[in-house]
Amino acid sequence: MSLNRGKFTLEKARAYLEHEPAMQVEALSDRLFTVTDGHCRSIFVSGLKSVVAFDTFGTPGRARAYRNAIETRLPGKPISAIIYSHDHLDHTGFAADLAPKAEIIADELCAKVVKARGAEGQTVPTRILRGQRNEITIDDISLVLLNPGPTHGSGNLAAYFEKERVLFSSDTILGNAKYGFMPDYHFRNFVPTMRSFLELDWDIFIPGRFGLTNRDGFIRGCDFIEATMTECQRAFANFVPIWLYEPMKGFVGGALSERFGDLEGFDGHIGQMAIRIVHHYLMGGWGLEDTPSGGVLLADEIKV
Amino acid sequence: MSEGTTSAEKSCAEHLGIFTLKGDIPIQGAYRDICYQPLRANIWTASEGIYRTIFLEGKKSVVAFDTFGTPGTARAYAWAMNRVFPKKPVEHLVYSHEHLDHTGYAFDLAPNAKVIAHDLANRVIVARESDGQKAADQTWSGERQEFNIDGCTFEMIYPGPTHGDGNVAAYFPQHKTLFMVDTVADGVGYTTLMDWHLTHYIPVMKRFLSLDWDLFVPGHFWMLTRERFIQILDYWQSLKDFAQEAIIAGVDPHDWNDLNRYTDEHLGPVYRNEFRYYEYAAMNLSRYMQEYLSGGWGIEGNLKPNLSPL
Repeated sequence: MSLNRGKFTLEKARAYLEHEPAMQVEALSDRLFTVTDGHCRSIFVSGLKSVVAFDTFGTPGRARAYRNAIETRLPGKPISAIIYSHDHLDHTGFAADLAPKAEIIADELCAKVVKARGAEGQTVPTRILRGQRNEITIDDISLVLLNPGPTHGSGNLAAYFEKERVLFSSDTILGNAKYGFMPDYHFRNFVPTMRSFLELDWDIFIPGRFGLTNRDGFIRGCDFIEATMTECQRAFANFVPIWLYEPMKGFVGGALSERFGDLEGFDGHIGQMAIRIVHHYLMGGWGLEDTPSGGVLLADEIKV
Repeated sequence: MSEGTTSAEKSCAEHLGIFTLKGDIPIQGAYRDICYQPLRANIWTASEGIYRTIFLEGKKSVVAFDTFGTPGTARAYAWAMNRVFPKKPVEHLVYSHEHLDHTGYAFDLAPNAKVIAHDLANRVIVARESDGQKAADQTWSGERQEFNIDGCTFEMIYPGPTHGDGNVAAYFPQHKTLFMVDTVADGVGYTTLMDWHLTHYIPVMKRFLSLDWDLFVPGHFWMLTRERFIQILDYWQSLKDFAQEAIIAGVDPHDWNDLNRYTDEHLGPVYRNEFRYYEYAAMNLSRYMQEYLSGGWGIEGNLKPNLSPL
C-alpha cells in the first residue's frame, strides 16, 4: 500500500507515519465530541446520517486512528466533510487517509497554502470560505466558522457552538504554558484577535493541543501571551542578550513566574517563548500578517 | 518621529520601531562603535560586532546599504561613513530587506537620502508603519535590476523567498563581490531561523553559485569565501535529514532539554566546533523539525520559485 508522506523524504519515516496511537474521545453534548492522540486535539460533530470532522491529525496512522475512533463512537455514519482549522500538516495533513471522499472545507488562504504546498496526503479543499464569519449547514449540522484575523498559520478558522457554549480554535491559546518556539504565530494582531472571541457566549474552550480549558483559562492564556510580549520588550530595551536562551529565560521567566509560574510547562517553555517573541520587536514582525491592517504578501499568486 | 505623531504622544525621544512600552527605551539611543574597512575598489564594509553592512564611495556622495537596528547605531553608522568620507553625504540608501534590525532607522541615518527597496519589502514597510523606518522613494520589482548611482555600479538581485520579504543581494561583478543579509553567515547561527522560508531556501541561495564571485559579505559577523558559503549551505541541507530523524526518534521540538540532548548526540560529533554551535544548534533543529511537522509557512514558504541559474 502506498504511504502518504507529507513532506518526509526519509524511508525510515515509514514506522512513524504509519503508527496508529490510541485516541481518547470525550462527548461534550449528544452531537459534539472532542478527540486527542495525547498531544494534538480536535473535534467532530454528528449529523443525521454522517459526521463532520475537524482536521485530520498529523500522520496517515493518526488519521486512520481518528477515523476508527469516530466509527467506534458513531457507527454507521461516514465522514461527509472535513473542515481544516488551518494549513499545518500536523493538524490537516492527511485527509486522504482520514476520508478520501469527504468534502474538504477551508478558509481561502488556508486553501491557497495547501494548494501551493502540494504535500502528499493533504487534500486540496473543495469548498472555500471567505470573510471573517461563515455560517454553513452540512447534514443538518449548523456551523459557525470564524476567522477574525491573523493568529497562527494561514486561514485559521475557529468553530463556535452556541448551543454547547463551546469555542474551538487550533494552535492559538493553550490551557497551559507549553507554547515552545511558537511556530508561525502572528504576534502583531494575535492577542486582540483572540480576545475578540470573548464577544461570544461560550464557557468551554477547546485548543488544538493538550487539555480543555474554560473561559477564565482562555482569558488567562491571552494575559500570559500579552505579559510575555511586554517582558520581552523590557528585556530588549534593557540590553538583555536577546539571542541567548538562558538570559532571556532568566529575565522573562523571572518577571512572570509569580503571576504565571503555576501554568503547566511554564519553566520548560518560557525561555523558548521569550526568544521567539523578542525577535518580533527586534525585526518588526514577519510579513504583512504582522502589520496593523494584516494581509498576506503574494496571496494573489495562488488561485483557488 | 513618524508623520502624524506628536511629541506629546511619545514617551521616548528616540524612534521606537514597534515598541509599545511606555517610558524610556535605553537600547534605542545607545551608541555603539562602528568598525569599518575597505573591501574592494569603492566597496566598504561596516559592523558594530554582530551586524554588518556595506557602503559605497561615489563621486560626490555615499551609497549606504541598510541602517543598523536602532536609532543609536544608525547615527553611529552615519558618523562612521562621515569619518571616512567627510565631504560626501549619504544621498542614497539601499535596503537589503524590511526587518527593523537591518533597515529600521533611515530617519536617524540619513533622513534626506533617497531610499531604494524591492517592492515586496516596501509593501511590508508601508503597512508596518514602524516609527523610524522610512518607506522607499524608489522601488524595483522582479529578479534583477542594475543601478548606476553617482559612479557606483552594481546589480540588485532578488533570487526568490529566503528570509524576510523582498530580501535582495547586491552584486558587484567587476569586483567579484556579493552582499546579502540574513541568509548565509558563518557557523550554525540564526537561532530558530526567524522568518526564513525554509522549503526552497537552499536551492534559491544556490542560484548565486551561477554568478562569478569569490567574496561574500553577510549581514552578520565576518566575510566568507565562496567555499565557506557552500559549506554553510551544506550544513542547512544536512539539517533536513537530522530533523526528520529527530521526529522519528520522538523528540519534542518544544522540549529544550530533549532538543539539546539529541543535538549533542547527533549533530555534535559533526558540528560542535562550528561558531555558535552550543547556542543555536538545538534551535536550528527545532525549526527544521517544524518544516516536516507543520509544512512550509504561508504563501512565501510554499510558492514554487524560479530555480534556474541567475
